Amino acid sequence: MSTWIQQAVARGRLTTRFPWAPPNEEEAPITAHAPEVPPPATRTLPLAAPVCPTGAIESEGVRQGACIRCARCLSHGLTPTGPVDLMASSIALLRSPSGLRHEPPSVRSPSPGFRRSLHVFLIDVGSCNACNREALGLANPYYDSQRLGIFFTNSPRHADVLLVVGIPTREMLPSLSRTYEAMPGPKAVVAIGACALEGGIFHGNPHAALPLSDHVPVDAYVPGCPPPPLAILSALWRVMRGPPSREGP
Amino acid sequence: MTRSSWVETSLSEVPKTSHDLSLSYLSPDARLAILTDYTEHRTRVLRGEPLGLDPARFPNQPWLAPAARGLRRCPPDEDVRGYGIFTFPYGPVTGGVPEAVRFDVRTYGERILELTPVTGFKRRGVLAGIAGLPLPDAALRVERMVGNLSAAHVTAFLTAAESARGLPVPERELWTRALALELQRIYNHLHAVARVAESAAQSVGQAQVHALSEEVLRLAGWAFGHRWLFGALLPGGPDRRLEPSDRRTIGTRIARISADFQTLWDLLSHTRIFVDRIQGTSPIPRREAIRWGAVGPTLRASSVGWDDRVHAPIPPYTDLFVAVPQGIDGDALDRIAVRVGEIQSSTLAIEQILDRWPAASGEIPPEPCVEAHRGIARVEGPNGDLIYDVTMQGDRVAGASCRSASEANLPLLALGSRQSVFTDFSFAWESFGFVIAEVDR
Repeated sequence: MSTWIQQAVARGRLTTRFPWAPPNEEEAPITAHAPEVPPPATRTLPLAAPVCPTGAIESEGVRQGACIRCARCLSHGLTPTGPVDLMASSIALLRSPSGLRHEPPSVRSPSPGFRRSLHVFLIDVGSCNACNREALGLANPYYDSQRLGIFFTNSPRHADVLLVVGIPTREMLPSLSRTYEAMPGPKAVVAIGACALEGGIFHGNPHAALPLSDHVPVDAYVPGCPPPPLAILSALWRVMRGPPSREGP
Repeated sequence: MTRSSWVETSLSEVPKTSHDLSLSYLSPDARLAILTDYTEHRTRVLRGEPLGLDPARFPNQPWLAPAARGLRRCPPDEDVRGYGIFTFPYGPVTGGVPEAVRFDVRTYGERILELTPVTGFKRRGVLAGIAGLPLPDAALRVERMVGNLSAAHVTAFLTAAESARGLPVPERELWTRALALELQRIYNHLHAVARVAESAAQSVGQAQVHALSEEVLRLAGWAFGHRWLFGALLPGGPDRRLEPSDRRTIGTRIARISADFQTLWDLLSHTRIFVDRIQGTSPIPRREAIRWGAVGPTLRASSVGWDDRVHAPIPPYTDLFVAVPQGIDGDALDRIAVRVGEIQSSTLAIEQILDRWPAASGEIPPEPCVEAHRGIARVEGPNGDLIYDVTMQGDRVAGASCRSASEANLPLLALGSRQSVFTDFSFAWESFGFVIAEVDR
């Protein structure tokens, strides 16, 4: 036992400074950042739109929910300078340039019930396994979600938040609804990853039943492919604490 | 894209019966055919001919046909009817298994008498959907089909596609693929060890190993721009010119992570509770491993020393020394020990790759090709042998199919779990290293 403790102490503090400091370069590689449109947007967007494999780049801006961070648009004028921890209460709010930088992405507080702890249940409805692994990664010492009161639970009966990953396939719909019904109130649903939001690279797939909000009421959307652990942690933190304008970290 | 192009068989069948359709296994006979092909493969590689296996030898795609139809579910070795015996469904939504899959467990309370994996819940029809797409767009979907094994799938897919078009590959691209593959192998193996330690209630051990896994992911993010290597290997992507200082950084960091892990493994393997839980759990005898067509660490744990990187190598593995660790008993401990050995062996491979990194990218202009051609490639992914069969029409993909390692190993889970108690199930599941996303693709 003592050897274990020595071993752990010798490695020093690994845990991120979140939520008291912005993410560093290690925590957020280039593809973790939302692509931004440098001005003039009217000239950049039409040039970059044809290379986007998901059609996320439109004449009015970038639909961040559909963006899979493939970086193809970066050689056509867009820049990887957007925030890492985007999140909004509707997919429509996740559009840049309008309304991304200026209005801080927020979530309506689903309930005043989550103040000090949050129990999270992960449900996979058709993911590639990357989102699952990033969400499970929150438990490792680098993120240590438990220090913030965020715990993963093995049963929906104990859960406050349903964390949905993957493109919702028709086969998983009954299980998704039953899992949501099994959760006690107050409860919230957080959808993470481009697949759960707008289908990502698999948009238009006939096996999928999008949008997710047709099946369960979604409180928060977190874009990314996959969103880095810090973005997921930040989303859960904000769901737990309510809107940042009312109460800071 | 039309609706019908997304489904591999007929659209009406898929939602109802995909549970049965999604499983097709490599029969033992087909496996032997592929095993004997490697001498010829090596000769072709040495001659500098296009990579991949010779499609003429496999006109019927033996590994894709449900040749092992009767073998999908291991037959119970005792009468599983009787008083008090019932079947309960475990999944597709469980806390223990983070992916959508169901197990029908036949039991009378504690001991698993029969276990049937039921897949198809997250079937997305990815490979059927890529028909007609240009190669870079198709590869973009293939890498996002199985996130944690993206490098292995993209490498196998691209090697098969390049083989179909008869194109040689720029040398640096080959070395980049190998580097990505080995990084991916290390973080997946570390994750498997951490999950087993977690199931055995080794909280400190699992936290420390998970931290190392996160470090490799961060290193991958730093070197390739994406933690899960999405976009790193795509054709026409940015040229990843690793400068000598970058290569030194990668080498130093991987060597340190590997050394740290070895210290942790020494502690873990001397922890009685940890070893007791996994020793003798879900054993796969050598004979059964060969009979059911096991692949990867599962096969090697059962003392069969087959590794594609040694026995059917694609360049640059032809020039690298790759150690092939093996187990003896084929139990969960052996499967984990083989992974531990492979972390060391991959570290050594990365060292060699970085040492011999080619100076020039060696661009080769693509030649136009309009006829449909078929190519087959196999790559040793983190959880085993991966086979892709791709048909190209010009620069577009006409069709693609694959046999993944998880598919091949799934019957072994049924075999290994039989006789064990339900609390041992998580050890069996994690030690095999299944990824359901590559079964339900």
